[in-house]
Amino acid sequence: MNLLKKNNSQKDINLKHLTTSSTNSLPQKINPFNIRILTRDFFSNPLDTTLTVALIFISILGSVNILEWLIYKANWNIVTKNINLFIVGSYPKEYSWRPISWLLIILIISITTLYTNLFKSRRYLIWIIIIPLGIYLHSGGLGLKPLPTDIWGGLSLTLILTLSSGAIAFPLGILLALGKQSEITLVRFVCKIYIEVIRSLPLIAVLFFGQLLIPLFLPMEVEINRVSRAVLAFAIFAASYIAEDIRGGLQAIPKTQCEAAEALGLSKRQIFFQILLPQSIRTALPSLTNQAIGLLQNTSLMAILGLVELLGISRSLLANPEFIGLYLETYVWLAFIYWIICSIMSLLAKKLENELRINQAKE
Amino acid sequence: METIITASKLSKSYSLGVKALNEVDLSVFSGEVVVLMGPSGSGKSTLIRTFNGLENIDTGELEVLGVRLGSFATEKNILRVRKKVGMVFQQFNLFPHLSILENVTLAQIKVQKVNKEKAEAKAMNLLKKMGIVEQANKYPNQLSGGQQQRVAIVRALALEPTLMLFDEPTSALDPERIKEVLDAMRDLAKQGMTMVVVTHEIGFAREVADRVVFMDKGKIIEESDPKSFFTAAKEERSRKFLNQMMQ
Repeated sequence: MNLLKKNNSQKDINLKHLTTSSTNSLPQKINPFNIRILTRDFFSNPLDTTLTVALIFISILGSVNILEWLIYKANWNIVTKNINLFIVGSYPKEYSWRPISWLLIILIISITTLYTNLFKSRRYLIWIIIIPLGIYLHSGGLGLKPLPTDIWGGLSLTLILTLSSGAIAFPLGILLALGKQSEITLVRFVCKIYIEVIRSLPLIAVLFFGQLLIPLFLPMEVEINRVSRAVLAFAIFAASYIAEDIRGGLQAIPKTQCEAAEALGLSKRQIFFQILLPQSIRTALPSLTNQAIGLLQNTSLMAILGLVELLGISRSLLANPEFIGLYLETYVWLAFIYWIICSIMSLLAKKLENELRINQAKE
Repeated sequence: METIITASKLSKSYSLGVKALNEVDLSVFSGEVVVLMGPSGSGKSTLIRTFNGLENIDTGELEVLGVRLGSFATEKNILRVRKKVGMVFQQFNLFPHLSILENVTLAQIKVQKVNKEKAEAKAMNLLKKMGIVEQANKYPNQLSGGQQQRVAIVRALALEPTLMLFDEPTSALDPERIKEVLDAMRDLAKQGMTMVVVTHEIGFAREVADRVVFMDKGKIIEESDPKSFFTAAKEERSRKFLNQMMQ
């Protein structure tokens, strides 16, 4: 009941907001701590008052206990002593500047993208270059000492897995969405089967298949490391979901857009890349953001297959007698890292959405 | 006079055997303004859309600007025609993700392979003539319907078409916005553009058209100059339609 009321009052506020903003050029800000609104929403009758007081009491009690644990009871040794392992895994110390500088570059680019207009027109390019740069810094070659993928780990491996599988899955998903609309029955059929089959498999099964099957499909001489196999498996999995998101976006575009483009003499390929794809990505952006965040979190499944990304490294640390039993500390710390990265990702997505909306200003 | 469109015995039926076009014969000559009128479902929109290959026909012969667009028209032929034929739609159909300027330059750059500066200069010039140059950097849904439709006309004109097709260009507009679009079309007709126009605007047809073609149920019922069509239509069907329109 309380909630219902709250919704209603929010609607009131929204309406007010709308009317004021349409008459005044400056929208009036509504103070959320306005006493009248507070009493109306939370203390309007005995039931509301009881619920409000009870909830306040419970949340104070809860937060005091949590803070007490975080500050006094928890043993953060596992984190402070192993911060290096969490960030770069067992990457040798003398070379760990390589993954660390990559992480710093990502952080700097994220911040400049979010809060400045630096390199605005080159932004997409910069974000694409990040991926090969990361692979180069991690694996070496061309002047850097080559290091095998087995020693990659921690946060930097998590991000490598996420970014590179995303970079493969996105174009693959677009191709699948395009294929599903193809005029050629065979192409349409193959894409449909691909999407349906992959979507009906759990991710962990796809990952196992990836580890076991991908080497079988390749010629004997080509050896493919575990990280690449994982990236491929992730990409194969995510592509089918991305394809469906893009297809949803494509279906939202009125047919008349195609006709207008055809009448201008644009070829089919030009129509797809100039008219349909940009519009469908805009529509699909919220669900694509979901996919990206899901991809990041799903990389933790690789721990089961023995990769030491964030979760994997935590599990091996927990097996160390020195840190035995510190489960809660470790998982709270992990949750914190994932939360930070996901927040940055959703901020970036929001920024992108806003920029696109400005372009398409809905009055 | 040079023939722009020659259509003979064009037929097209949708599923369920509804005949959208039933043995239509029509010729359009260079510099002519032909207005297609008729009740909804009469096939006038289908007919105009066959002229740039948006609809294909089942049987009959169609030649537009010397290119054959029969029932087996090749993709290549259709593209050849589209490069010389501009089209304006009822719903404007501007591209919402592109600015006005980008809407106008897109086909110049991608189809005609004009470089960007040249395309933009031309676009700005045309927008200026149309009186909407200050909207160049806005996006379609920031414009009124009349402004959007004028952008759509500019977008088509930027490709320097020989023939312009208008498919009910004012039907989706507020009454007070209709005039600005009709004025633009009037100017275009004065400059000698060959135009085929599907419209219900009797005033425009009376003033600008060289010929009015009245269609019903996929057939051409009557074809005459506007003066005699609007004052003394020969056919019973046309008179009935005009009576309904006048009310």
